[in-house]
Amino acid sequence: MKSQPLRVYGAVAAALSLALLTSACAGSEPTAPSAAGEDGKPVTLTYWTWTSGAEAAAAEFNRTHTDIQVRFSQIPGGADGYSKISNAIKAGDAPDVATVEYNMVPEFASQGYLEDITASSGELVKTSFPAGVRDLVTLGGKTWSVPFDATPQVYFYRKDLFEKYGVTVPTTWDEYRAAAEKIKAADPGARIGSFPTDAPLQATLSWQAGAKWFEVKGDAWKPAIDDAPSQKVADYWQAMLKDDLVFNYGAGTPEETKSKADGTTVSVVGASWSAGGMVSGMPDLKGKWGVAPVPHWGTPASGMYGGTSFAVTKGSKHAAAAAEFIKWVTTDPASMKARIGALKNPSSALPANPAMAAVAAQAFDTSYFGGQDLYKLTGDQVATIVPGWTWGPVWGKVGADFKDEAARNGLPSGLTKAQESARAAIGSRGLKLAK
Amino acid sequence: MASTTTPAPAGRALRRRQRGAVVLFLSPFFVLFAAVTVAPVVYAGWMSLYRERSSGLGFGGVERTFAGLANYAAVLSDPAFRDSFLHVAAYCLVYIPVMIGVALGLALLVDSAHARAKRFFQLAFFLPHAVPGLIASIIWIYLYTPGLSPVIEWIDAAGGSWNFFSPGHTLSSMVNIAVWQWIGYNMVIFFAALQAVPREVVEAATVDGAGAWRIALGIKVPIIRSSVVMTVLFTCVGAIQLFTEPKLLSDKAQALGNDWSPTMYIVSKAFVDHDYASAAAASLLLAVVAGALSFVVTRMGKRWQES
Repeated sequence: MKSQPLRVYGAVAAALSLALLTSACAGSEPTAPSAAGEDGKPVTLTYWTWTSGAEAAAAEFNRTHTDIQVRFSQIPGGADGYSKISNAIKAGDAPDVATVEYNMVPEFASQGYLEDITASSGELVKTSFPAGVRDLVTLGGKTWSVPFDATPQVYFYRKDLFEKYGVTVPTTWDEYRAAAEKIKAADPGARIGSFPTDAPLQATLSWQAGAKWFEVKGDAWKPAIDDAPSQKVADYWQAMLKDDLVFNYGAGTPEETKSKADGTTVSVVGASWSAGGMVSGMPDLKGKWGVAPVPHWGTPASGMYGGTSFAVTKGSKHAAAAAEFIKWVTTDPASMKARIGALKNPSSALPANPAMAAVAAQAFDTSYFGGQDLYKLTGDQVATIVPGWTWGPVWGKVGADFKDEAARNGLPSGLTKAQESARAAIGSRGLKLAK
Repeated sequence: MASTTTPAPAGRALRRRQRGAVVLFLSPFFVLFAAVTVAPVVYAGWMSLYRERSSGLGFGGVERTFAGLANYAAVLSDPAFRDSFLHVAAYCLVYIPVMIGVALGLALLVDSAHARAKRFFQLAFFLPHAVPGLIASIIWIYLYTPGLSPVIEWIDAAGGSWNFFSPGHTLSSMVNIAVWQWIGYNMVIFFAALQAVPREVVEAATVDGAGAWRIALGIKVPIIRSSVVMTVLFTCVGAIQLFTEPKLLSDKAQALGNDWSPTMYIVSKAFVDHDYASAAAASLLLAVVAGALSFVVTRMGKRWQES
């Protein structure tokens, strides 16, 4: 991949007025029919996702469209959700549209689980999304899914507790460690954060440090999970864990949630989407959380943490209608307004599409962060995403093996094991391994 | 049974009708057996003979090729698959003596208790078994989780420390869940067997001056030994399918890995690696092992009953 910084965000300000204009009238008028069934009846699409606010967005789509109706189903996120999708595809019972995280797109595409949507959505992806995100869904010259959000890392911290412990917001990882020591010294029960020994966080922190876990070399894959930047990151966090400066709670586990709620976990490395869960999960802490750029290794940089795209699953009979729905859900400001306004689990994702991001920024209620503009901050971080990252075709296996080995013998050992398992899995699938 | 009162001429028609009844009563079993046991096994067998291959970067599609027994060879040579059986063996070595020992002890205690107490204890000990394994595991994992568990708070308050999820402690944590669940069940089996111990033998022993210990260990246990052996063997066969407890535990005790037991290995092959062929091959190998174990159990069980 060519190194193209995500400059598209520079155009956000220019797009803002236009976007507001479109959003003002987007809600009410049904779009022109174009993908209805041959018999003139509306096409019903099935749509599986776990993303926040998706149900509200689907309802809004149904309200404003007559030729296509979407039947929404909530599925679990993570490995369970992917099993559900892949099983359904094997059984010929798959949804038409499913969300696939960027880190799983190459795996799903190379397993033959996704339709090649170059013809219907290739142009959309090319014209509406920044290059770095576009590269994550364009593989082997084909478009496999349409980006939904951009997920530069950001740093959430308890303003009140930082003040209490006399800690300033760390801007580098060295400062982060110093702050961690200070917090633990001030309150032996509190820690600066929690580091789960799992692959997604290790990957995004390695990405930030300049690692490239997978690269395409001609027609072959080159995994380099144990490269030097990754080793540096693993050693750093291994020392943090060894010195008991961070908790070792898994992401999203009850103990992690509890420690955030009761103030023993003082800060969190997350992404824009993390905020939605904080707003709905910890309403009592309104006004106490602040947001800052993520600490770095010397120059501001960020990896992408999570992030979702929309794909058409193999065998869908409504590819045209699916493409239209996907276009709406990834680029139409009305869909994002519905998501952010969802009552049950509102979204705080930063849309990858700049025009839609501008609308999201307007719609998001900033009072939880004491008036701090979350979207402005996360949007600014997009420019710091380190270009050139590619996810590999064997991520599920690699992630699981990293997690197991890291829990047994530490993070550096996890990297070694993950690299071995990537090479073995690429080989056993018949894929070509770069020399 | 009705045929004894029926006149002879109607016999043939009745036999036909009886045959109809036999078919009617047996067919639900065979239909379900074929649909949910035979058909999946055949399908798994067919799946295990093929392999999905891609080429280059993998974006040109997936090709399905005949692989013969290559998937079986690959699974058998995978150390993770072999280790998963060793894990279960280690689990049995700890779990079975503890579980059988406590269940037997409780059964003997309850057997020598007063009649009214008997029924109470029988029910009280059996209750944990009424909780589904999944729920029991979730509850226990909650009790094992630092930051949530009152148990850990008590241990800490008493000045100790115990990490239920550390690599060295996961086996005992898992055994504890299983013991809690199965002691009552097996105790009821042993207790029922103890009811069949002839009272006159016990009385004779008492008259001869044997104490309660002597009667329990010297008379009651030898008499019910066949049910003890049967329970041990059934527990072994059941353990080979161990899944719920380690699977749920592995979320927290990550060092357990995602392929600790044979069934977990199969699930991770199919749903993490998307390698359905190897998963099918491993499933059939596991079925063969379980079948062989069951065969041994039946043979040994028969021998014990005859002796």
